[in-house]
Amino acid sequence: MADAVFLAISVLTIGSAIASLEVRSMIYGSISLMVTLAGVAGFFLLLDAPFVAMFQISVYVGSIAVLILFTVMLVRRELLFHKIEDPRRRYAGIGLMIVIMLGIGTIIIGSGLKSMEVDAPSVDFREIGKDFLTYYSPALVVMGLILASAVIGALTLARREDVTNEQRTD
Amino acid sequence: MSAIAPEFRLSRFVASLTDLIFWIIVIFTLIGLPIVFITLFYIELPEINGKLLTPYLALTWMADPSRTLPIIKSLIHTDFFRISTFPGFGFAALLAAGTIYVERKFLAKMQLRVGPLYCGKIEGILQLIGDGLKLISKEIIIPAKADKPIFWAAPLLFVGTAAAFISLIPVAPGWVVADLDVGLLAVFAVIGFFPIITLLSSWSANSKFPFIGGIRALHQMVSFEIPLILSLLGIVILAGTLNLTEIVESQQHYWWIIFMPIGAIVFFTTILAELERIPFDLPEAESEIVAGWLTEFSGMMYGLVQLGSYLKLYAFAGLFTVLFLGGWNGPMVWPPFPQEIITEGIKMGPITMHVPGLPLLDQEMLNGTLWFTIKTIGVILVILLPRGVFPRIRIDLLLHTGWYKLIGLAFVNIFIALALVYAGVLGPGGLIQ
Repeated sequence: MADAVFLAISVLTIGSAIASLEVRSMIYGSISLMVTLAGVAGFFLLLDAPFVAMFQISVYVGSIAVLILFTVMLVRRELLFHKIEDPRRRYAGIGLMIVIMLGIGTIIIGSGLKSMEVDAPSVDFREIGKDFLTYYSPALVVMGLILASAVIGALTLARREDVTNEQRTD
Repeated sequence: MSAIAPEFRLSRFVASLTDLIFWIIVIFTLIGLPIVFITLFYIELPEINGKLLTPYLALTWMADPSRTLPIIKSLIHTDFFRISTFPGFGFAALLAAGTIYVERKFLAKMQLRVGPLYCGKIEGILQLIGDGLKLISKEIIIPAKADKPIFWAAPLLFVGTAAAFISLIPVAPGWVVADLDVGLLAVFAVIGFFPIITLLSSWSANSKFPFIGGIRALHQMVSFEIPLILSLLGIVILAGTLNLTEIVESQQHYWWIIFMPIGAIVFFTTILAELERIPFDLPEAESEIVAGWLTEFSGMMYGLVQLGSYLKLYAFAGLFTVLFLGGWNGPMVWPPFPQEIITEGIKMGPITMHVPGLPLLDQEMLNGTLWFTIKTIGVILVILLPRGVFPRIRIDLLLHTGWYKLIGLAFVNIFIALALVYAGVLGPGGLIQ
């Protein structure tokens, strides 16, 4: 059962990833990107990590894919991209992907990951939370600072001084 | 001679009838009887209680309540029943349909109108059925330059996402379709799909007004999702769990709204915005952009979107009940099942009938459902109320409210929850358990 589901999700994820690159319509491309991201959430569900899966859906599908869709709809395509049709680039990309995959594969096979337990009980997300607040708390603080500085930086960049607000704000 | 059918001859009519009967008999003997024989001879019939289950016996059992009740009882505990009927789609659709009628009458009474009056003679109670029949029988018109696959899929996806939302709401102890450990996160994940579907459907219609409405809906939903998530974190901190059933069980003695009224207010406001209800109905502002993102939908496609949005209304009201109002908790008011029916059977004159497996549903579940439904209907009425009172607000004020005030208030709520935990009042090892 799990194998069949794994195969189905793999086909769906990889197929929609290829489709998101190859489909001419950008809207359909972003929809298939959404399917890819949701398929990754399916992998997390298969790996007994529903916490990560739900965050994958709510962050990637719910926010980032929406942003991409929004951009694609509002901005005309000619302003975003220059169309370069070159089959050599595509083959180079495929070759690069194969090289990267082979490299990662050899690293994983060379490491001890292949001897992992299959029937190990899933990790409770409460344990992860406790670890974050005790042993890994400096990492949590650093992450919080990075996110806060990113938000503040985005607000600063998006702020426009030349536009005066003529509407009442009260 | 009759003027209606001048060529009518009784003899020909009788001849055609006998002809028909002859052919029916021929076809039944040549095809029907062999099928019956094959069924009886070659298919192995089950033997139950020492009797062969022939079709005749099966038909007899279907009319016998003492045999059908256990079957119904086992059906009630299947997943199919849960998904389709009780805590799932059927129950929610019934409440949603009731909401549409109640909304119209309620608004009418508030504005000193009469509302639906004629359909069904008594206060227009059949108006909803009439509207439904009208929507089903109407033609579905699709704009010529629409993107057809997305346009067709959008209403179905909308109803499907709303149904997925409903499946997470616990109605009574143990009565929930999907009892997830990360239930609240699943709610956030499901809510994230609504802006995508809205935007895609509005884009695919290839028309001005839906697109403006869709962009507005996207702005509104995305910016109000953040205070929605933040306002619920206080409850997660105090209850110490993300499971919705456990959150309800943690409110046996007091409701979370007592400790977190600010969170409840923020959550209620974000509910109004997510549901696109007045005063936040900018995506459907009918006086500005026809009907917003619903403009190009017609017939049953519009009906499906409407059904989906009222299912969503029920789901959000149920979520408010579960998180802030104690869910199914309440005093036991449901009368217990009369024991003498179980022990002595039902007496009807000279006959005494013993019906095994009779309390179909236990008292606790019925009581829980009663309280949950009462609270949810109360919340739905409060959600409907602003439509008769408030005007629509401007979009910059809306975004300002969402990004500045509600997020600030949600953080205040989180700090209140943290203070309660660190002061040792609530939470694990607190004064009030």
